[in-house]
Amino acid sequence: MSSDASQNQILLSAHFSVRYAGKPPVLRGVQLEIQRGEVLGLVGQSGSGKSTLAMAILGLLDKKRSPAEGTIRFEDIDLLQLSERQLRALRGRSIALVLQSPLSSLNPALKIRTQFKEAWRAHASGTSADCADAIRNSLQGVSLPSDDEFLRKYPSQMSVGQAQRVLIAMAVMHRPALLIADEATSALDVITQSEILALFRELNHSTGMAILYISHDLASVAGICDRIAILHQGEIVECGTTNQIFTNPQHEYTQRLMAAIPRLMHANAPLHAKTATAQ
Amino acid sequence: MSLWQKLACVILALVLCGSVAANWLAPAGYAKQYREATDAPPSRAHWLGTDEMGRDRFARVLYGTRISLLLAPAAALLSTLMAALIGGLAGYLGGIWARMAMAVTDLFLSLPWLFLLITARALMPLNVSPLISVMVTFMLLGLLGWTTAARVLCTTAASLRGSDFVRQAQAAGLPAQRLFWVHVVPNLKPVLYAQFWISIPVFILSEANLGILGLGVAEPMPSWGSLLKELEGLVSIGEEPWKFVPLILLVVVVTSFQVLLSKQEEMAA
Repeated sequence: MSSDASQNQILLSAHFSVRYAGKPPVLRGVQLEIQRGEVLGLVGQSGSGKSTLAMAILGLLDKKRSPAEGTIRFEDIDLLQLSERQLRALRGRSIALVLQSPLSSLNPALKIRTQFKEAWRAHASGTSADCADAIRNSLQGVSLPSDDEFLRKYPSQMSVGQAQRVLIAMAVMHRPALLIADEATSALDVITQSEILALFRELNHSTGMAILYISHDLASVAGICDRIAILHQGEIVECGTTNQIFTNPQHEYTQRLMAAIPRLMHANAPLHAKTATAQ
Repeated sequence: MSLWQKLACVILALVLCGSVAANWLAPAGYAKQYREATDAPPSRAHWLGTDEMGRDRFARVLYGTRISLLLAPAAALLSTLMAALIGGLAGYLGGIWARMAMAVTDLFLSLPWLFLLITARALMPLNVSPLISVMVTFMLLGLLGWTTAARVLCTTAASLRGSDFVRQAQAAGLPAQRLFWVHVVPNLKPVLYAQFWISIPVFILSEANLGILGLGVAEPMPSWGSLLKELEGLVSIGEEPWKFVPLILLVVVVTSFQVLLSKQEEMAA
């Protein structure tokens, strides 16, 4: 790919810092690029600033308490220069978010249909039939039933896996160019996690939507991402292809992360041998 | 529902039905004077006797119950709506709005509300109609009774503002007013219902307190408060026990509300 073509492929290019008032910066000169249609993994320990980065891209940080300084260019628009109204027009339509806990991310007091309607009306105007069509298509896209009985349910009446699929369906309803999945599979059991990862992969292939997949779970990151960025103490310390990060990590922190992955070989070792090693 | 809660429901239903059917049960009305039988003991004609002006006490209890049971919920509704608007909105907006609302709440809580009620009622002309006095009494109770509920709602709304589902809805591009009305308010409903029901017995008792002081509903219209005023001159408890009926009714109704409220709390927990 030529460098011009590569430039055109850049969906998001960010170089910014975030500091909470009176505290050391949470994110320090973070540099990040996301290509159109790629799945970029963002890996880091808890408290490394992953969610702050996601919120900064969406413009959901408190501008007084935790201002983002620098540039976050999305489709050639600097998000940090936009007004709240302009940001709101982008949220959900061009950049969507899926959070960690599906059941707490859906409003417990509202039926699924109402929540879909709200998400649709935020960026579309049309008849109820148009809205119903959009809801049906979104639900079918994530392999969920779209009948009345399902839409009448409250979040508490669904399984965690179903709730996460509903969240994803709402997030991709307006076909955003970028989906931010903030620890979107961390709260799920292994089987549901693999189903959701497969769904992300399928959505990425079928719609060309880029995904910023934020996680501390290296196994899931390896399963879905084209490239991986490593965030450590508010800085991106390394960014490379999934293969390169896993086989040839350059930064000392990345090496430690890779060394921390439990090996099956070690897990199969006899228990008494492990106990002896520990002693 | 426990036996006590079922009993409370039955009592409240009976009292409410009795007050609604006052026109049929006591067709002579609450104001008719039987001058030949003033301060009379219970008889077949007057089941609870008559007061010192010869008015049928049973009729007055029924009509007084109607006023207390219909207007206390109205005052509770007014105070709950004010609490929702002030506390809920301030909690959702946060920052300076929440601080300002809480400062106003603190100010209201520190006001001597009884003194304010006395002042407000004293400012009203002496020849004010009984109906207006009823409206004003309960409106004042409603206007002054929102503060505690507003505090609770402010805290609840603030916690909802930071919840995952509000964050998710923000990320979906919903404007602030939709976030408040569609995502925050429905989640305030359980707190609002609880505050509404808690307020009813409080307002019934507040009206009774005002009535005893002669500041509640104006004569000749009866209320539980004005009926209790009759007990002022009582020398001995055993002397005229039928005069205690309004007091017993008040205690039974307020207790029934409390028993049902404990059920609500169980459901909320």
